[in-house]
Amino acid sequence: MKLSSSMAYGSSAEMMFGFARKPVETKQGLTIGGGYVIPEIVPHPRPGSEKTIKTLLREFERANFDALERCVMVGHPHLVVENEHVYQMTANPGWGGEIAAQSVRQTLEFKDKYGLKSAYRSTIADIRKPDMVNLRDSEPTSKVLESFNECAKYSDIISIESLGGKEISDYSLIRNDITGLLFAQAVLGGRDMEWLWSQIVKIAKKHDCIAGGDTDCAQANTAMFMAGGFLSKDIPHTLAALSRAISAGRTLVAYECGATGPGKDCAYENPVIKAITGVPISAEGKTSACAHPDLCGNVMGAVCDLWSNEAVEYNNMFGGSTSAVFAEMLGYDTAAMNSAISLGYQKEYQACLVNSDRYRGPHGFMLCPDNAWLIGKAVVDNNESMYTRARAAADKCGKLMLGDPLLRMTAFEKESLLSYMKEMQSLPDKEEDFIDLCLSKYGKVKGFKPASYGL
Amino acid sequence: MKHSPNSSRIFTRYDINIEVARPKIRDISEDKLLQKVADCVVKGDEEAIESAVKEALKTRSPLKVTNEGLIAGMKEVSRLWDEGIYFLPQVILSSDTMIAGIDLCEDKMGKAVKKKPKVVTHTAEGDIHDIGQVIVNALLNAAGFDVINLGADVPVDEVVEACKLHNPVMLTGTALMTTTMTAFPKIAEKLKELGLNIPFVCGGGAVSEEYVTSFDLGIWGKEASQAPGMAEDALNGLSWWEMRTKWNG
Repeated sequence: MKLSSSMAYGSSAEMMFGFARKPVETKQGLTIGGGYVIPEIVPHPRPGSEKTIKTLLREFERANFDALERCVMVGHPHLVVENEHVYQMTANPGWGGEIAAQSVRQTLEFKDKYGLKSAYRSTIADIRKPDMVNLRDSEPTSKVLESFNECAKYSDIISIESLGGKEISDYSLIRNDITGLLFAQAVLGGRDMEWLWSQIVKIAKKHDCIAGGDTDCAQANTAMFMAGGFLSKDIPHTLAALSRAISAGRTLVAYECGATGPGKDCAYENPVIKAITGVPISAEGKTSACAHPDLCGNVMGAVCDLWSNEAVEYNNMFGGSTSAVFAEMLGYDTAAMNSAISLGYQKEYQACLVNSDRYRGPHGFMLCPDNAWLIGKAVVDNNESMYTRARAAADKCGKLMLGDPLLRMTAFEKESLLSYMKEMQSLPDKEEDFIDLCLSKYGKVKGFKPASYGL
Repeated sequence: MKHSPNSSRIFTRYDINIEVARPKIRDISEDKLLQKVADCVVKGDEEAIESAVKEALKTRSPLKVTNEGLIAGMKEVSRLWDEGIYFLPQVILSSDTMIAGIDLCEDKMGKAVKKKPKVVTHTAEGDIHDIGQVIVNALLNAAGFDVINLGADVPVDEVVEACKLHNPVMLTGTALMTTTMTAFPKIAEKLKELGLNIPFVCGGGAVSEEYVTSFDLGIWGKEASQAPGMAEDALNGLSWWEMRTKWNG
C-alpha cells in the first residue's frame, strides 16, 4: 500500500460543502459530493428488538420507512439511510443481509412511487475486540467479513468502525499518554485497517457496491466524548484534539486501500481526509446531539457532502418517530446549505458555520477547513510511515493550537499540551525504533497481541 | 474567510471563566520518607515509586509505608479529584503508582494488604465497549476495594455465578448500546431468585435512569466517578433500595 503523498486541494479555500474532487455515484443516481449536500439518517433499534431477526426486520422497516416517508412529506429531494449494525446483526451475518435487502427494497419503492432518490449504507459492527481475539484469525473476524459479503449484495455503500489499537488507546487515554495514542491509532490501527480494508474493497468490487470508509470512532471519538463539554474532568480537550489529528493518518488507510467514500459520519477527522483525498465525506454535528454532545456542531458542516445525525434510537416524539423527525431536520439543514450554493453564498454560509465553533474548543478549532488542510499537509509531507505522518499531524495540530491566542485553554489543558509536544519531540524518528520502544512499554497491557497487527 | 472579532454572543467558555488558581497540594506526613512516597502517589510518578518505597522500607514497616504513605497519598488524590482540581488521568496514574508501591510492600510482608470488600464489575453481554468499566475499576481500586473484573461481553449466567462465588457488596454493569443493556434486568432477576440482594449499579452510554430503576436491585450510575461513593454506601450496609433513593431521583 502506498501512503498518500499529495493533497487533493491546493488550499482550504477550494474546499466547500457539497463539492468533492472525486464524487461518487450511487445505483439510484445520487451523486455524493457532486455539488449538493444530502442528509444521511441513522436510526437505531430499540432495546429488545435485537432478540430475533423478525423483530429487527420489523424495527428497521418502520424506522427506515418513516424517514423516507417524511422526506416525501416535507419535500426533501434525496436521502441516504444508514443502518449501523447492532452486535447481533454482524454476529449473525445473514441478519444484516436480510435487513439490507429489505431496506434497499424500501428505497426503490419510494423512488418508483414518488421519485425520491435515496441510497442505503450498511455499517458492519466490528465485533473483534482486540484484547479478546486475534484480529486477523478468529470467529468474530470471519463473521465481520461474512457480514460484509452479505450486506454488499444489496447495499449501495458499506462501511465499518474498526477497532484496531483500541486496547492500547483505552489504556493510554486515561493515562494522558500521547506516545500510547500514537502507537495505538497510527501503528496498530493503521496496520489493522490495511489488513481489513484491502479485503473490504475486494468484497465491494465483487458486488458492485461502494466501499465507503472507516472512522476512528473507537479511539478519537472516545477521546472526544471523554473530553466532553466544559464541565468534564475526564481528559483534556487538547489530548482529544491530538488524538483526532493522529486519527487522520489511520482513517486515510481505507482510501489508500481503494475505498472511495463517502466517509463515515462519525469520523470527525473527515475534513482532513477530504483535504488529502478529495473523496466525499459524511459529517455530523448539531443534529447528532441525540447521540452525544460535541463542541463543533456547525463547523463540521463546513466541507461535508452528507450530513448525518450519528444515531437516534427509534422512538416516538410529538412530531412523529425520531427517524422521521431527524430526517426532516437533517433535510432542512442541507436545504439551507444547498440554497447557499444555489445563491452563490456558499463561502459566506461556510464562514458562519466555521465562526460558530472555531474558538469554542480545540476540536472545533483544528477541524476548521484551514487547519484541517494544514494538518493534512503535514500527513502527506511526512509519509515515510504511518507513525511519522501521525506524529507530524499531531505536532502540527499542537503548534496550531499554541499559535493562535484566540483559542483559550484551561491551565491544565495548556500544561498538558506543552508536555505532549515535549514528549513527541523526544520520540524516535524511525517507525521501527518507535515500534521497538512501544512493544517494550506496552507489551504487558492486558490482552495486547502484537500478532493481531503482524508485529 | 472572515473571522468574527468577538465571540461573546457566539459561545461562552464557562470552564475558563470559573477557573481559579489551583490550591497547593497538602503535605501528607511529617516523616520525610513517607512524604516522599506520598508525593510519588500524588504526582502519579510510577518510575520513582520503587526507589521511594524501597528506601522507606529500610526503616519503616510495610504496613506503615502502605497506610501512611501510599494510601494517605491516594486520599489526597481523591480530595483533589473531588474538588475538581485533578483530571481523571491524574487519578489513574496515581492509582497505578499506589498499586505498584503496595506490591512492593506486600512482597516485603509476604502477604497481601487487607482490602475493602469485593465489588464485581462487568460490561454487558454483546457489548465490547468497556472503557467505562476500566475507569470504574481504577477508581474502585484507588478507593481500596477488591475489584473482581469480569471484563467485557460477559454472559448473564457468568455474572450471576461470580456473584455467588464472591458475594460482593456491590455489582456494576456497563453498557454503551441500548440493545445490550437488556442483560441487566435478567441478571437482577436471577440474583433475586437466589436471594442475593446485591446493589447492582448500571451505567454507561445510553443506559438511562428510567430503565435501570425499572427493575429491582438496579441503581443508575450517571458517571464512573460515583462508583467509589456508591461502594462505600454498600459497604456501610445501605440496601439497594436505600442506595437508589439516595443516588437516583
